[in-house]
Amino acid sequence: MTDTTLAPARQPIVKRYPVVLVFLGCLALFTLGITVLSEGFGIGVISTSFIKTLGKTLCLCLVALAMDLVWGYCGILSLGHMAFFGIGGYAIGMWLMYARTEIIVVQSLAAAPLPPTAQEISDGIATQIFGVVGASEFPPIWAFAHSLPLQLAAVVLVPGLLALVFGWLAFRSRVTGVYLSILTQAMTLALALYLFQNDSGLRGNNGLSGLQNLPGLGHVPQSTVSIWFFWASALALGLGFVLCTWVVSGKFGSVIRAIRDDESRVRFLGYPVEAYKLFVFTLTAVIAAIAGALYYPQAGIINPAEIAPIASIYLAVWVAIGGRGRLYGAVIGAAFVSLLSTYFTGGQAPDINLGFYTIQWVNWWTVLLGLSFVVVTLFAPKGLGGLFDLIAARTSPNRHGADLGPDVGALREKEAEK
Amino acid sequence: MSTLLEVSGVSVSFDGFKAINNLTFQIGEAEMRAVIGPNGAGKTTFMDIVTGKTRPDEGHVLWGEKSQSLLSMSESQIAQAGVGRKFQRPTVFEDQTVAENLMLALKKKRGPLAVLGFRASGADQKRVVELAEEIGLSAALDRKSGELSHGQKQWLEIGMLLAQEPKLLLVDEPAAGMTPAEREHTTEILVEAAKTRAVVVVEHDMEFVRRLNCKVTVLHEGSVLAEGSIDHVTSDEAVIEVYLGR
Repeated sequence: MTDTTLAPARQPIVKRYPVVLVFLGCLALFTLGITVLSEGFGIGVISTSFIKTLGKTLCLCLVALAMDLVWGYCGILSLGHMAFFGIGGYAIGMWLMYARTEIIVVQSLAAAPLPPTAQEISDGIATQIFGVVGASEFPPIWAFAHSLPLQLAAVVLVPGLLALVFGWLAFRSRVTGVYLSILTQAMTLALALYLFQNDSGLRGNNGLSGLQNLPGLGHVPQSTVSIWFFWASALALGLGFVLCTWVVSGKFGSVIRAIRDDESRVRFLGYPVEAYKLFVFTLTAVIAAIAGALYYPQAGIINPAEIAPIASIYLAVWVAIGGRGRLYGAVIGAAFVSLLSTYFTGGQAPDINLGFYTIQWVNWWTVLLGLSFVVVTLFAPKGLGGLFDLIAARTSPNRHGADLGPDVGALREKEAEK
Repeated sequence: MSTLLEVSGVSVSFDGFKAINNLTFQIGEAEMRAVIGPNGAGKTTFMDIVTGKTRPDEGHVLWGEKSQSLLSMSESQIAQAGVGRKFQRPTVFEDQTVAENLMLALKKKRGPLAVLGFRASGADQKRVVELAEEIGLSAALDRKSGELSHGQKQWLEIGMLLAQEPKLLLVDEPAAGMTPAEREHTTEILVEAAKTRAVVVVEHDMEFVRRLNCKVTVLHEGSVLAEGSIDHVTSDEAVIEVYLGR
């Protein structure tokens, strides 16, 4: 009877966690199905714009995984992970915009009697990109924008370093619970406000645009490009799921769940709690950034509003609705809520005429989302993921209303499994 | 017998209230010590200081052969150096199984990267099973520890402490909420543990202390009032005055 807990180590992860195999199977089938129905590679039932929506949704699922790891498993309610997501998007967007503008500028200068100098080309690109904010020179942060490998490195390194420094300062001072959430939110807000400025070097509130056009691949139709990104997003989500499962399985998972429920007790066992939190915070920031780098080329545009604190709050809502502390729950929550949000805010949902008042979903969707968040928190703390418990006949323990640990992030009675 | 822990001249006050006042305390490498005292005598604060939870205003806390100062170390570093603590209220990780709890406590590398790559060897698993037997929870290895009874949680926490293999065990009221038979077993485990390491037991229950049959330190208003055998301290006038209230 001790088999389940005591002999897991030597088996491959898919064997210990069949949910990984099920998840990867579902994801593969979904990807295949969508490809067959797509315009680019299949019979053309699904429009390119919807393919992009689905691809973006997969990226949101990936960032939700990161959120579940940091909040659901480690108890850190970060309201800043969409900032890392946005930074990832900006990092890749800079290269996309630079490289594409470079091609356009070189083409237009080719007709000139004298071959253009490197300086002329650089000036031309800068004028094209920054004309909109009244500048014509490259700000220092664009120093590496010409190089795809360097900007790809920036996707990982910039958010990683930011998370490392911010996390180190916050965790070292033992800021926890609500205060930490407020701190992360303040970081996000500060970043968004900075990016809104025209002299931030990232085109202020215009953001970066035209990201859907891959430089040098202008002849490839968007229907094909969209499928490429869809595949890449599905692959990233699959890998992210395996990575997160590996991290939360075994002893590391045991330690971070212990930190979530009772962090001072973990300290007295000799574990450097701050180092664990920092590790998880930074790792999830990097995952979020990679998700962002895949998302924004599909969205085509990124601007500072995307980084605003509300985005990170939505992220927490997705994970809560999906069910905190279970990775597939986060994926389901993000997919379900973001697709529903697209449906309602896209104007596709029919308005409801009550006679004296017409409910327009574009406005009322947020209200519905807020209400469902409250309902889930109060009445179904396991979220959508909890539906699987009904099938598997898993029950919550009866603890007479007591949480599973003294800390703010600790699992509540109804979230736990018996 | 060499000294394992030396607390000298330690004082700490909270908002003017002197919880510990010029406390001096020593314990050897394989020694059992009971610490008794009325409420507010500073027993728990003393443990907080040794484990790094509270920083004293003055004084020294020296550890081990090298006389390392514990005051500059964090809680986790102190725990890694070999100080294990059991709290008054049983604190185990309730969402995790008994086996997971014991595996967490097992003396291994504690850093995140080492733990990420950790795989329990056969010997580790055997040790967990042994510990579970010792604390009478063999049949409960796969149960979530939140489901255990109060007494069983106390056991589990004692088991976790043993798994840590500390050089010094600080135990806060181990027998609270236990049946007489369970107390008996607790006494046995503590006496056994004290053969190879230092054990400090904070306890209210005089009968329990008597059964431990060890040197007793009486605390009062943050400093040592008397020290010696149980018969010696219980016949001490000052002790009778403040503690036994007779």
